[in-house]
Amino acid sequence: MTSLKKNDFSVIGKPIAMIDSAGKVTGQGKYADDLSVPGMLIGKILHSHLPHALIKKIDASRALALDGVVTVVIGTDAPNTYGILPVGHDETALAVEKVRYVGDNVACVVAESESIAEAALELIDVEYEPLPAWFDPEDSMEAQANFIHEQRPNNIEKDYHHVFGDPDAGFAQADVVLEGRYIANEVTHAAMEPHCTLAAFEFDSHTGREGRLTVQSSTQVPYYLQHKLSIVLEMPMSQIRVIKPLVGGGFGGKSEIIPLEIIAAVAARKAKAPVKITYTREEVFLAHRGRPRTIIDLKTGVKKDGSITAVAAKVIQDGGAYCSYGVVTILYSGALLGALYDIPNIKYDGFRVLTNKPACGAMRGHGTVNVRFAFESQLDELAGKINMDPVSIRRKNLLKPPCITVNGLRVQSYGLPECIDVVARESKWAERRTKLGKGRGLGMACSHYVSGAASSIIRSDMPHSTVNIKIDRDGGVIIYTGASDIGQGSDTMVAQIAAEVLGCKMNRIKVVAADTDLTPVDIGSYSSRVTFMNGNATLRAAEDIKKRIVAAAALKMACAPEDVIMRDDLVYKKGVAPVAPKQENAPTVSGHVEGQILRGSVQQKRKDEGPKERMSFEEAVTAAMDNTGALGGTGSYAPPVEAKGGKHKGGGVGPSPAYSYSAQVADVTVDEETGEVTVNKIWAAHDCGRALNPVSVEGQVIGSVWMGLGQALQEEFVWKDGLLMNPSMLEYKSPSSTESPEIESFIVESIDPEGPFGAKEASEGSLAAAIPAISNAIYDAVGVRLRECPFSPERVLSAIRAKNGQKKIEMTNRVDPTAPHKMREHGGSTWYKGKGPQRHADDPSRKTTTEVPAAD
Amino acid sequence: MSLPTFKLLRPRTVEEAVGMLHRYQDDIQICAGGTDLLPSMKQRLFTPKFLMDIRGIDGLERIRVTPGLGVELGALTTLSAVEDSGFIHRHYPVLHEAVKTVASPILRNMGTMGGNICLDTRCLWYNQSLQWRKSCGFCIKKDGDLCHVAPGGKKCWAAFSADTPAALLCLSAEVNVASPSGFRRIAIADLYTNDGVNRIKLAKNEMITSIYLPEASAGYSGAYKKLRIRGSIDYPLAGVAVALKKKGKIVEDVKVAITGVNPAPHLVPDALHALVGRELNEHAATVVGELASRVAKPLTTSLLTPEYRREIIRVYTKRAVMAAGAAT
Repeated sequence: MTSLKKNDFSVIGKPIAMIDSAGKVTGQGKYADDLSVPGMLIGKILHSHLPHALIKKIDASRALALDGVVTVVIGTDAPNTYGILPVGHDETALAVEKVRYVGDNVACVVAESESIAEAALELIDVEYEPLPAWFDPEDSMEAQANFIHEQRPNNIEKDYHHVFGDPDAGFAQADVVLEGRYIANEVTHAAMEPHCTLAAFEFDSHTGREGRLTVQSSTQVPYYLQHKLSIVLEMPMSQIRVIKPLVGGGFGGKSEIIPLEIIAAVAARKAKAPVKITYTREEVFLAHRGRPRTIIDLKTGVKKDGSITAVAAKVIQDGGAYCSYGVVTILYSGALLGALYDIPNIKYDGFRVLTNKPACGAMRGHGTVNVRFAFESQLDELAGKINMDPVSIRRKNLLKPPCITVNGLRVQSYGLPECIDVVARESKWAERRTKLGKGRGLGMACSHYVSGAASSIIRSDMPHSTVNIKIDRDGGVIIYTGASDIGQGSDTMVAQIAAEVLGCKMNRIKVVAADTDLTPVDIGSYSSRVTFMNGNATLRAAEDIKKRIVAAAALKMACAPEDVIMRDDLVYKKGVAPVAPKQENAPTVSGHVEGQILRGSVQQKRKDEGPKERMSFEEAVTAAMDNTGALGGTGSYAPPVEAKGGKHKGGGVGPSPAYSYSAQVADVTVDEETGEVTVNKIWAAHDCGRALNPVSVEGQVIGSVWMGLGQALQEEFVWKDGLLMNPSMLEYKSPSSTESPEIESFIVESIDPEGPFGAKEASEGSLAAAIPAISNAIYDAVGVRLRECPFSPERVLSAIRAKNGQKKIEMTNRVDPTAPHKMREHGGSTWYKGKGPQRHADDPSRKTTTEVPAAD
Repeated sequence: MSLPTFKLLRPRTVEEAVGMLHRYQDDIQICAGGTDLLPSMKQRLFTPKFLMDIRGIDGLERIRVTPGLGVELGALTTLSAVEDSGFIHRHYPVLHEAVKTVASPILRNMGTMGGNICLDTRCLWYNQSLQWRKSCGFCIKKDGDLCHVAPGGKKCWAAFSADTPAALLCLSAEVNVASPSGFRRIAIADLYTNDGVNRIKLAKNEMITSIYLPEASAGYSGAYKKLRIRGSIDYPLAGVAVALKKKGKIVEDVKVAITGVNPAPHLVPDALHALVGRELNEHAATVVGELASRVAKPLTTSLLTPEYRREIIRVYTKRAVMAAGAAT
């Protein structure tokens, strides 16, 4: 159920099915792995089985001798470094000199079939020299030698130390100050579609050498991919075409260049044939780029009236072996302490640390989620200390927009107060909270997120989005947008905006998206920027083209352009009833007399008598085209300077043109004998500015809450000496239908002054609140504070027993939730510290002969 | 990941099948539903030269009731068929309870009773891809010589992770085993070895053809409690089955069995003494829970800690006993 304000739009604000949904449900739509081209070969990647080691020698001769193997690619074939951030170019297509995590990319076999390529992997002989490895971020920071990257002493990727206001004075004013350590374990996106890339070169007719490259890949960022390919392959960007087919979910896991995308291109060049690589699910886990394990030492002070006086946070992120988005993640963690509540003084120390594990990157709610869990939990605890209701303490600390926060974030639209009111009312917070009985409780929490970053990660002043629109004599409207639809519905969003502005029906609109040859630059689908930025660019492109149609229509109707109204496929004078013009001859499918559309308006006019009062969309478009041929409109969007934040180091991350807001209440039951937590229901209200497509917004809100639920209760990476123990959908326990409670979503529309039709972010902001809402509800139910997520049954039971003074459950294999301070290790032996795999005579990779499977 | 190459054999009779088993001994693998075997083959846990698909054998997929004797379930009877059988539900409720928790509905349509009984033992260090296992230096169950779970010993502690055998133990079920020399019957209680590698006492040329539920076990009330993180699909991280018979308020007979925590499913032998001849109450059920947790020897074979799984055996046993007692 949603509450929407009434509006006078014809397409905007209406629940509209995604325009690509029929293709998806019928199987007609093509994802990357559905694609194949003649002569295509299959690539398979050999991954490191050691967490940190020098590569002494790679001998692929046995693999190359296998029938059906075309080539083997290694690091020296393409040694240029790249990375998503300009400051973090520390990756290579395949490892050069050393491997940095179990799963690092060592070589790629290109063969005629998957089974031949898999067999050949076992025939590549790699000689390693193992190095000491770092698995715990706090140990890693103490490293004096054997750094993961030589240019990063102490294995610290980046640290930031920010002070806004006067935190010391703020804590001095506080009546109650709480300090605590919170840990959020590592989670990953687990998108339904595994990554896949198909790369193919054209060959130059004169020289026979490779010419233009076409890459079709499951990506959220086709233009960044084009850019990084040009760096690694040393080709001009104009010679590289990146096409994004349908993408089956990204959540940030496809928002940067994933190793297989570069490897496939390098392999296609070496094999002189198209190469496709599709990750296995295990490889998806190893490519990772998920949310890092985060250790948060948080201190918050409040006065007796509930007002927050200061916050200090020290955050350590276990970033894995490469920079990825790490510098941005650690900055978001600090910056987004602001812009939710009015906090006058903030101190932030953030450390992004390298460890010998797969790289962490951007994941839904990038940077804010784990810190928000800590903050909202501590705020709940503080409310308890001063005997204040958790809802009241949040109401007490609201911002008063328009304003600029102490850390430089500009807030204009702010629907948080209404979000809190809605969930408090709908969950019957005040009436039910004290009457739920033993083992059941309610918890509340809030969160927010950016609607795109005001400064792009590539530090460029170019527009973040540009959109072209073409209208030709068929009356069709084609939108050329660089926005990457990854399932979130950006194709539908731009179609709706253009249809609303141009006053035409949705079925006139065709979207051509995310093809670097055809569509103008859009920096990608990440940080919830697409609706705000690409939507604004679409709005401007549509207005650009509309101006010309209106001018022509005004002439035909003998009125001022301001008096021309375009709506629902009709163009009419202000004050005239919008009815369709009477058709004298039989109309065609396009609603127009056969052949007329291809004529000029003067030819058409012969049948007309005098100036018109109303016209069809085609008539108006034809009139505008009399002198120009096809109509073209362009619009672009660059965030305003006022939204770009403070001048401090790292101040570019956090500022956004607009912020979304969310408030949630969770109703949980805790089994005190087993520690099992059942979420009965979650009420979630989300302020998305204007909901352009309410069903789409609800889907995003429910999906965010659900993903937060997974991180809250079930999902985590379990490590043993750098070995990921659960790299499969079976053992990585994202919630299934049986654990999914009812999530009732409420849309709050604050109408942002700069968003397209007032729209803001809808797809990430609701994730973060779900975790603390559940932990606060667990406290309400059984009186234990969970400071480490996920709140797995054993952590909950252990905490309950500690509280009751019962016999302790031995949790040495895991961090004790009452005193979590060390990296959790799974039980068992530590083979890495003893003898490695080399001693095993049975190691199949040591066998000299491998049965050759038949080509399939 | 692709399947390793193998030659597919499709026998039409049990005689033909055991003949093939006898001929190929170490190089053959039986495939019934394939729900557990095929993913394991992709991980190269099994690379048989011959895969014997037994689904073409007539008469192995049925539920046959013989008055006075009991019920015979063919080894190929799907888990869904057992779940949907009203007769099983009425007369052997503990089996109904257990079977409906196996994997997911789709997998139960393919998975068979025989396959569930013969399910391979599971361990985090074992049920992984070849690439992954290479990274840990392999383990004693496959390709290696070290148990990562109990590095001091030479024994494999992989956990037996099927649900239905716990229920079958409570029902004193027997299995019919075919070999080139004929048929023999083994009590399910005598089928397992409690060794993670050679988990089952079948010769290489033997296969299970059916399962007998004795008529004497009919009419026991039953309950099965299963610990899993993901409700819709998961192997048991701990499982407890209880079959119980009361006369009035007094417990006349009871069987309790646990699974998912040891390399074999086990009956809890002393449960009888704690309950029989007494009135069922929370205290008695708690005592049985204690007894069950003493039988449980979970190790770090799964993502949950051994201590937690043992504790859950205790709590779930108590609850299963109470539920079975209330169900009559």
